[in-house]
Amino acid sequence: MDRDLFSHIDTDLNSISYLSLNYDHFDSALSSIVSSPSAAPTPPGPNDSLVLRELIGRLGTICNNKSASVGAGDHSANTSCYSTPLSSPPKSSLHPLPNMNPNPNPMPFAPDPGFADRAARMPCFGGGPHMAMSGQHSRVSSSQSLMDAGMTGGVQLEGELPVRENGAGGSGANNGRKRKAGVKGKGKEASLASSGTVNSKISEEDQSAKRCRPDCKAGEKKGGTEEKNGNCSENNNGDRENKNDSDSNNANAKPVEPPKDYIHVRARRGQATDSHSLAERVRREKISERMKLLQDLVPGCNKVTGKAVMLDEIINYVQSLQRQVEFLSMKLATVNTPSDVNMDNLLQKDMPQACSGSMQQPLYRSAFSYPNQPQVAPLNSLLATNSIPNLGMQPSSNLPFDGFGNANPQIGGFWEDDLQSVVQMGFGQNQEAALSSQSFQGSGPSSSDMKIEL
Amino acid sequence: MENPLSEARQHSQTIIEERGKRIKLAAEIGLARSSSGRHWARALRRRLYRKPPQREYIVKNPTPLLKKEVPLVAEVVADVAEEKEEIEDKVRALQRLVPGGEEMEVDRLFEETADYIEALREQVGVMRALACILDGMESKDGDKL
Repeated sequence: MDRDLFSHIDTDLNSISYLSLNYDHFDSALSSIVSSPSAAPTPPGPNDSLVLRELIGRLGTICNNKSASVGAGDHSANTSCYSTPLSSPPKSSLHPLPNMNPNPNPMPFAPDPGFADRAARMPCFGGGPHMAMSGQHSRVSSSQSLMDAGMTGGVQLEGELPVRENGAGGSGANNGRKRKAGVKGKGKEASLASSGTVNSKISEEDQSAKRCRPDCKAGEKKGGTEEKNGNCSENNNGDRENKNDSDSNNANAKPVEPPKDYIHVRARRGQATDSHSLAERVRREKISERMKLLQDLVPGCNKVTGKAVMLDEIINYVQSLQRQVEFLSMKLATVNTPSDVNMDNLLQKDMPQACSGSMQQPLYRSAFSYPNQPQVAPLNSLLATNSIPNLGMQPSSNLPFDGFGNANPQIGGFWEDDLQSVVQMGFGQNQEAALSSQSFQGSGPSSSDMKIEL
Repeated sequence: MENPLSEARQHSQTIIEERGKRIKLAAEIGLARSSSGRHWARALRRRLYRKPPQREYIVKNPTPLLKKEVPLVAEVVADVAEEKEEIEDKVRALQRLVPGGEEMEVDRLFEETADYIEALREQVGVMRALACILDGMESKDGDKL
């Protein structure tokens, strides 16, 4: 699934470099990304916007997925490049942008007039002081969450929140914001329809993206405004195009879609155009998107419909995982290992790299520094080799210990070749049963006993 | 004759329990460290370092809490009032489960939950692998000895 997404992205993001985004800023970054590839002197047509929105959505999720772990609550406007931590996970196939530079410079992308226009529209672009990047603490948008669910660890988007683009901004977000008090776009429906060809996830993203628009307009009503604003900027692009096709219910909607500084949202037909209810709706949709994300994460939830049941499943799953941790820790306590195996150290050691909880991180083979082990990978080892000195393992290198919280799924090759395939931790649900059965039966002398079925 | 044995057994049982608790604590610390950028991870760390390992998943309310609990109802999509109530209860339950969840709004909560689930999964996997390895070590050593 993530591969598919990436392939899509590749085609679209030819010129986009790795964007490492603090996921607070991904919206702004996405906006810039969107503008950049199009690089059209004129505002992009409907098709372009569609593509761009897709891009944004995907990128956003990717960014957020990756940068989430990095953010660590850093809301600085500038830092969009957590390049270091993000570089560790596998990279996506995005191509680097030639003019991308990992500084928080305003305009990493080649400015083009179209971009300027778009940038001007976005609240996060350009001047508005309150709309400065720092204000763009866009929370993970639904798109992010969608990507989170399925994302490989790969994409690192290195970007700046080029939003400062400024030049385009001109009047900046302030003006834009005020301009259309109540423009409500057709909202998700329109966008969904227009983006029908798009991956359903993307359309969802659009949904969520557009969702924030009313919030933009409505001003900082809720605490989550920042994110909404951020989202708004992203939405702007898509919305622009939406407007073209959708009927505008809104009195404020201008017939032509001039570049604006904020997002226009259209109310769907038959729905209240009140900014409050729109914001409400946006919020609700965002929440349902997140729930979809969770649905993907929690096994067996696909057929479940209804919030209550879903929530039940999620709660049960979290509880079961926590119980598993507890159980396994008790089990580890019972293991009769040589006395100098310091289990606490094994579990606690800091990870050398910050990884988000991506399940698709490369499977590092644990290196038990077995001298004859041909496949010792100088990557994270599950056990700190220096903590098991009496096992006859001479650490060939002091491999950085991989904290247990990290995904170090694959423990290949122990001290003997026949144990190499033992623990293939794919972290998939289907493996848990196999694993549990294996581990609980203890290890037999034959390697086959230790092999975990994948 | 059984008495000393059972006592020994109990004693070792306690030892094992103690060990288990320490291991669990270590695992949680590792878990928190793995996703240090996440709200839940920070909250978990605070909890772990602030108080010695007591009962984990009953989150004692941290100070800046609950200010956002009220809007839950408004945010939850439900057609019927009872449904809303029910859903809200579940959301609160989830908040209790996810470290730091009590301070978050629903959408953020779901995000954190997703990340937390992933991290937990990895943690479980790693611990399983470790158990496997150690089992293997155990038997191997036994053979060698």
